[in-house]
Amino acid sequence: MSDYILQMKNISKTFPGVKALDNVELEVKKGEVHALIGENGAGKSTLIKILAGIHKPDPGAKFYFEGEEAKINKPIDATLKGVSIIYQDLSLFPNLSVAENIYIGQDSNKKPWKKINWKNIKKTAERALEELEVDIDPNTTVERLSIAQQQLVEIARALAFEAKLIVMDEPTSALSSSEVEKLYRVVDKLSSRGISIIFISHKLKELFRVSDRFTVLRDGKYVGSYQTEEIDESKLINLMVGRDVSYEKNEKEVETGETIFQISNFSKQGNFKDISFSLKKGEVLGITGLVGSGRTELAQAIFGVNKPDSGELKIYGNDVQIRSSADAVKKGVAYIPEARQTQGLVLEQSIINNISLPILNRMRNKLKLIDRKSEVQLAEQYIKSLDVRPALPDLPASKLSGGNQQKVVIGKWLSAQPKILIIDEPTNGIDIGAKTEIHKLLRRLANDGIGVIMISSELPEILAVSDRVLVMRQGRISGELGIKEATQEKIMSYALNSGNKDESSEVLNEPNQVSQGV
Amino acid sequence: MKELLKQKEISILAIILLIGAVLSFVSPVFLTIGNFLDIIEGNVVLGILAIGMTLIIITSDIDVSVAAVTTAVAVSIGYLFTYLPDSWISVLLLFLIAPVIGLVMGLVNGLLVSIIEIPAIVVTLGTLNIIAGIVLYITNGNYINSTSFPKSFMEFANYELLGIPILIYLLAIVAIGTWYILKHTLIGRSVLAIGGNTQSSVRVGIDYKKVKLFVFAYMGVLAGIAAIAQTAYTKAVDPNGMLGLELTVIAAVVLGGANIHGGRGSVHGTLLGVLLLAIMQNGMILARIDTYWQNVVTGAIIVIAVSYDHISYKRSQDKLAKIEVEA
Ligand SMILES: Nc1ncnc2c1ncn2[C@@H]1O[C@H](COP(=O)(O)OP(=O)(O)OP(=O)(O)O)[C@@H](O)[C@H]1O
Ligand SMILES: [Mg+2]
Repeated sequence: MSDYILQMKNISKTFPGVKALDNVELEVKKGEVHALIGENGAGKSTLIKILAGIHKPDPGAKFYFEGEEAKINKPIDATLKGVSIIYQDLSLFPNLSVAENIYIGQDSNKKPWKKINWKNIKKTAERALEELEVDIDPNTTVERLSIAQQQLVEIARALAFEAKLIVMDEPTSALSSSEVEKLYRVVDKLSSRGISIIFISHKLKELFRVSDRFTVLRDGKYVGSYQTEEIDESKLINLMVGRDVSYEKNEKEVETGETIFQISNFSKQGNFKDISFSLKKGEVLGITGLVGSGRTELAQAIFGVNKPDSGELKIYGNDVQIRSSADAVKKGVAYIPEARQTQGLVLEQSIINNISLPILNRMRNKLKLIDRKSEVQLAEQYIKSLDVRPALPDLPASKLSGGNQQKVVIGKWLSAQPKILIIDEPTNGIDIGAKTEIHKLLRRLANDGIGVIMISSELPEILAVSDRVLVMRQGRISGELGIKEATQEKIMSYALNSGNKDESSEVLNEPNQVSQGV
Repeated sequence: MKELLKQKEISILAIILLIGAVLSFVSPVFLTIGNFLDIIEGNVVLGILAIGMTLIIITSDIDVSVAAVTTAVAVSIGYLFTYLPDSWISVLLLFLIAPVIGLVMGLVNGLLVSIIEIPAIVVTLGTLNIIAGIVLYITNGNYINSTSFPKSFMEFANYELLGIPILIYLLAIVAIGTWYILKHTLIGRSVLAIGGNTQSSVRVGIDYKKVKLFVFAYMGVLAGIAAIAQTAYTKAVDPNGMLGLELTVIAAVVLGGANIHGGRGSVHGTLLGVLLLAIMQNGMILARIDTYWQNVVTGAIIVIAVSYDHISYKRSQDKLAKIEVEA
């Protein structure tokens, strides 16, 4: 018997015009948590889709399950080998019940006229949910669940299939920090039961927390596999990016100009209280705090999707009322939400068309027709500054990797040239090399006179980009630091106050559900 | 969502009862069993077609060629009558031949939609025109009346069991059969699954092309059965008799709670939708409302129902976790 649950060898994949994978291998041992890492577009998702039978590899690929060679031509082949995949965007059926979602696919290779055994479906689902120790009613429809619960349903599906190998593609990117902890525990439990897990993520800390081994991809090529003990973060980054990347603290003193944005006494029951701050021209204001401290709720209040109970707002000294998100855009406020990858891309359309979408009426020539040349120019500019790869303006957005799609979303919002830009977790799901590019871009925007408010939980990011830092705790501003005096320790002490982390993160554990449909 | 669906069905039921109550004041005839059976019998064709359309709409497609297909089968039946001997066997044989003719046309639609992946609205608009054109060419628009129908078929058409016309049983069989497929077979659940999320269905190993082919083929079979019902009910074959019926069919399905964006719909909901349209029409006839105004009212109800559906869909989408993006 082999030690390996899975070995993939000689995996190449050519898409029209792009070699996404070039002779890659992946070996996963039984019961281990195996991290798969690489920059945006390195080929992680593609490799997984080949394992899943969704993409066909180029000829020559070999698959071994528990040492035995096998062929994977369609999804059911992988399923029968005990592989279950939890995609970044999940594979659920919102209109069907939890029980059906867990069971679905088990009968895929049966005759279409086969009678469905509802009792069996319920039983299978209940057993899987019980094994996971989660409390979800198998009869509710999936669309009523939160993202975290939906993910658990997918994991339950994998258990129901008696999966031996579960792949999780960026499972934590849509979860809050307490949900993330729960997920880690589920992962630990699964692996202690001998189930292998492939874990894809851009969060290095998280990978060191959960993984036993790493496989690194770079530009579609296999770099190597490493035991967690034998590497550290900086070595890993070097392997991924091919150079050293580290953030430096933003030390430069900037010239700040007039006050361009000001809010006073913003309050909303159960969200935040007495928030006042101002933003000067040329400045990046960082807002941080624990998840659940009211940061996102505040941002959405400014943007008009989560109306505050009271408070005033001034833009360039004028009192302004923001009634809706459309109103906010009209008044020059842009908000790039955290869950970008699912919002606001027309997937079938080219990168160009996506980026120019918000400002088509500014792109018209004398004949009032859309001026293709300036559209292309605009797109090329953002492709370059955001490092979208591949840098092909005509490529449909659907052909980009997840992280590169996010960059396009950011480009789209920036093209509207807002006066005030609020950006929530700007580098969530974005690889480490591109992160520094985005940081530079935010600084550049501020220099160009746009007021930038950046919300982030990553303290190094806060320190690298901001000129001033606001720390929030329990819906209030608990501290304000100029960048010179700011350190990670000081910020944390404001964020936690007593240092009792659990208590403070639970205070606002049920912030009002706010529609994210921006 | 099940609760919401139920709510929706209950609200249709409530509207039906309300209209019923008003109508029974307007006309004493309305609340009689005789009138009720008449209403249902008169809408068997609509019911059968709407049931087939429900499956197509659940998969988020549409078929605007149903009326043309049904007419084509009905015309074929009219010609067949000259060849078939006058006996019960022929009537039975009809139940074999008509669905097969419908099936062939449904398969053409299905293959174009699923294999070549042409949008269903384009495909079925095309087949609608082709079929309607051929039918007019062959019939010259001429009506075939019952004098040339075999006696056995006329007996079948007039047959009643326990005082209920045979066509109503036909509708019941189609309804129960389709309900069973949708609720209790793998293919039926796949119909709902691909309507809910096509990409997910690919990932769990459902062959969505086969499922699409199935719903169009099934629609064809039901159109064949509906053609028999239409011929039996009108006791004639009229090449222009079902002009525009596809819109009423689609309206009934949407009124019955199916979502034009796919993912939801049910046989009992659709039957309620059919009933609502039927009672409204009956009521307007009893109330002697001008035919033109009848059309206006029906049209308005359809527009209101579809807008309501769309608005509530948008609302529910806002609340949903978004899971459409391929990453
Ligand atoms: N359907 C497709 N057609 C053409 N090219 C594609 C397609 N899917 C992916 N690619 C390309 O293949 C490469 C690898 O993409 P992949 O999605 O595997 O990256 P990834 O490592 O998952 O990145 P991320 O971290 O951003 O999710 C990218 O260059 C991408 O543009
Ligand atoms: Mg990816």
